[in-house]
Amino acid sequence: MSEISDQTGRTIPTGPTSSTTKSATQLNDELLSSLRTPTWKWYGLALFLGAVVAWGLAAFSYQMYTDMSVTGLDRPVMWGVYIVNFVFWIGLSHSGTMVSAILRLCQANWRRPILRAAETMTVFTVAVGGLFPLIHLGRNWVFFYLIPYPNQRGLWPNFRSALLWDATAIFTYIIGSSLFLYLGMLPDLAVARDRASGWRLKLYTVLAMGWRGTAREWVVFQKASTLMAALIIPVAVSVHSIVAWDFAVTVIPGWHSTIFPPYFVIGAIHSGVAAVITLMIIIRKAFHLEEYLTPLHFDNMGKLQLVIALLWSYAYFVEVQTTWYAHEPIEWEVYGFMAHKYTFILLLMLVGNAILPIICLCFKRLRRSIPVMLVITLLINVGMFIERFLIIVPSLSHKNMPFVWGTYRPTWVEISVTAGAFAGFALMYTLFAKTFPMVATTDVREYETQKRLVPVGRTRLPSLAGKE
Amino acid sequence: MEKMTSPYRWGMVVDLDRCTGCGACVVACQAENNVGICGKREIAEGRDMHWLRIERFWVGEYPNVRVRFLPVLCQHCHDAPCEPVCPVYASYHNPEGLNGQVYNRCVGTRYCGNNCPYAVRVFNFYSHEWPKPLDNQLSPDITVRPRGVMEKCTFCIQRIRRAREDAEGEGRKIRDGEVQPACAQTCPTEALVFGNLADPRSRAARLSRSPRGFRLLEHLGTHPSITYLKGGGREHV
Amino acid sequence: MELLGIFRDVESAAGAVERLVREGFTEAQITSLTSSPYPDGVLVKTDQRSWFRWFTLACGFAGAGAGFLLAAGTAWLYPVRTGDKPIIAFYPTGIVTYELTMLFFLVGTIVGMFLEMRLPPRGKRLYAPEISEGCIGIGITIHAGGEAVACGEGLKPGECVGGIAVLPADEQKRRAEEIMKEAGALRMVTEATL
Repeated sequence: MSEISDQTGRTIPTGPTSSTTKSATQLNDELLSSLRTPTWKWYGLALFLGAVVAWGLAAFSYQMYTDMSVTGLDRPVMWGVYIVNFVFWIGLSHSGTMVSAILRLCQANWRRPILRAAETMTVFTVAVGGLFPLIHLGRNWVFFYLIPYPNQRGLWPNFRSALLWDATAIFTYIIGSSLFLYLGMLPDLAVARDRASGWRLKLYTVLAMGWRGTAREWVVFQKASTLMAALIIPVAVSVHSIVAWDFAVTVIPGWHSTIFPPYFVIGAIHSGVAAVITLMIIIRKAFHLEEYLTPLHFDNMGKLQLVIALLWSYAYFVEVQTTWYAHEPIEWEVYGFMAHKYTFILLLMLVGNAILPIICLCFKRLRRSIPVMLVITLLINVGMFIERFLIIVPSLSHKNMPFVWGTYRPTWVEISVTAGAFAGFALMYTLFAKTFPMVATTDVREYETQKRLVPVGRTRLPSLAGKE
Repeated sequence: MEKMTSPYRWGMVVDLDRCTGCGACVVACQAENNVGICGKREIAEGRDMHWLRIERFWVGEYPNVRVRFLPVLCQHCHDAPCEPVCPVYASYHNPEGLNGQVYNRCVGTRYCGNNCPYAVRVFNFYSHEWPKPLDNQLSPDITVRPRGVMEKCTFCIQRIRRAREDAEGEGRKIRDGEVQPACAQTCPTEALVFGNLADPRSRAARLSRSPRGFRLLEHLGTHPSITYLKGGGREHV
Repeated sequence: MELLGIFRDVESAAGAVERLVREGFTEAQITSLTSSPYPDGVLVKTDQRSWFRWFTLACGFAGAGAGFLLAAGTAWLYPVRTGDKPIIAFYPTGIVTYELTMLFFLVGTIVGMFLEMRLPPRGKRLYAPEISEGCIGIGITIHAGGEAVACGEGLKPGECVGGIAVLPADEQKRRAEEIMKEAGALRMVTEATL
């Protein structure tokens, strides 16, 4: 029996230790390692990210101070990289919560170490994505005209506009996914509370809501987790369908397409799963979680990514082939323009999104190779960013009236704001990881308890105790 | 809910067989409506503010080349794609069939500009200035639009308002030809005819029933208020 | 009056529960405090039913109403025509109604869950931080003392109290403490700290 002391000097007896299972304290120590005092490396990273965010904010302020002419937008291309960013970030947010919810409902035990990373990603990507429609407004300072509240202007937003559906859906999604993240974290916050001191103790005490882990609390908690998982999935599907409707409900050739909502949802999951894998690799390295995020996890996530890559390719094929077959002149003009003007990035997208993942992820050895997975998942997200660009810009460039065809090239302001968004996401994520438990500690410990070795005959086999 | 009806349904007829492409309408529109002054740079960037443009097309092979002109302004569609996409009701439909644009409400999502198949909506990318003494030419009847808002042809709504007030003062309806937008008033060949389409005897209504008539991008089902006339045995001129 | 015993492992904690029940305490009086969930029956047997999902459902209905009023009701209050669409347009109303229904469902689930858990608590309660390090807490609510009510049909689990309830509360507490110590409790917590 081993004993350790906590901060108050009290001796805490730990659970039974053996060579095969770790004690709860050891598990807590390892899984909550991200909460340790930051190193200078961490401060360096945070400072760097903060500097990029500041640069992005400066670019945005410059745009607000001068006018929209600092962007590359013109007539007819009135939406550009800001809206590409919006679709991209909302797309990224999809898998976090959705993968976590689906795996929870399927009771896939390998989900446990990656839950929190995925759910956190959702919350922050929605937060970043939700900013872009405001950044791109011509008059950002009157953004509150879009909010439905009784006002002296006698003005109410128009719910017939797809932008209002967006606002409603994103509001629902950000609240829902934050609650989902918080719900999953509740028992972990209690663990963190019991090991913390100072300001952290105060913070966790408030957030843990007096959780003690009584049998009754666990019963209700598990029912609520299942229910939340079941409820958040249809919300996630609706959010990206609505983002797709921003385009599909218009009369613009190349946008007005019935396949857009399901196609966008698939694309969102494609980029989201890839981002979850990328983050798993980073977290594994940063917090030394090699024991908990094993090649098995990457293998399973790789299989999921393969399925989504196939689905995405199918949807893309269907979209292009129907247009090709109909050969409606204006629509075909848009495709021709896209293939001609953006040949390189179009090919990069097809390789990154479809060809490379489909070929590589068929092989177990590649799925289990972490460097390969890192390259594939990063390329998928590059491809998905391009995909959104190629949906938005070429359609607007060559609309119905050939006399006002135009082109678009993003300026340094738009690129700086984009860079600021990426850094902002990374910064929020880094700060979160230092403040909150980044691995679902109690979930992992529950599984460790369940799969304890029990003697059967002459050997010891892992038992899996739990509900059927 | 008040009933939204009106004895007027404003519309226009553009006789392409009469248009010479002189561009007087473009200038008149700019002068009447406080449209921002754009230079070479703005136009090269595709950020010109013209509410009305003359599209010019070359037809045929050299040396048998003909030039064709197509004046394009807001079509004041009855099923306007720009209207329902506006989240703040800046773009809306008024009972007289006009496609209204409320500058003060506009937040600049530019969704309407994207969804307009005729690409007649212009966005204030720049804060336009009227250097002295050009500011003396600004019309007091119309807002000077700030940067970041969308604007477009209104069929010179300030003129329609004034004519209606005059007519209401005298207890009658607006007479045919009493109100004209700046472009129609200026057109030397009378290629542009404006009038009340709800009155079947108005000149515009009679012309719009011409067998030469067609509407721009009719297949999109936007039901424009502008009828173009072309043909009449003079296709090759 | 409450009592909390801290145990090193599941086996000793389960043993303590077993003895407490044998002594005459009922399952409803005993609860376990753990930092990771255990299947029902490993430590204590607790009521598996819950009502908060009815609360969620009610919130969902409220959300549907709110969504409908937000999209259709306000459009009717501010009748502005756009794009020849009806004032109360079918699809937008449906979409906004759906989103607000889901929002109220989600918020209702969390609120309902906390209501049913009775968290955050009004006052301080018995707790020990060792529980987070894998120790098991066995809590027991001592009956004020009086008539024993045998568990039977038609009685909720909280309403029946075992034979031990006839003893005075202090005596009950002493016995419970003794049992837990015998079963291997590391220490007893009597002071509410959380």
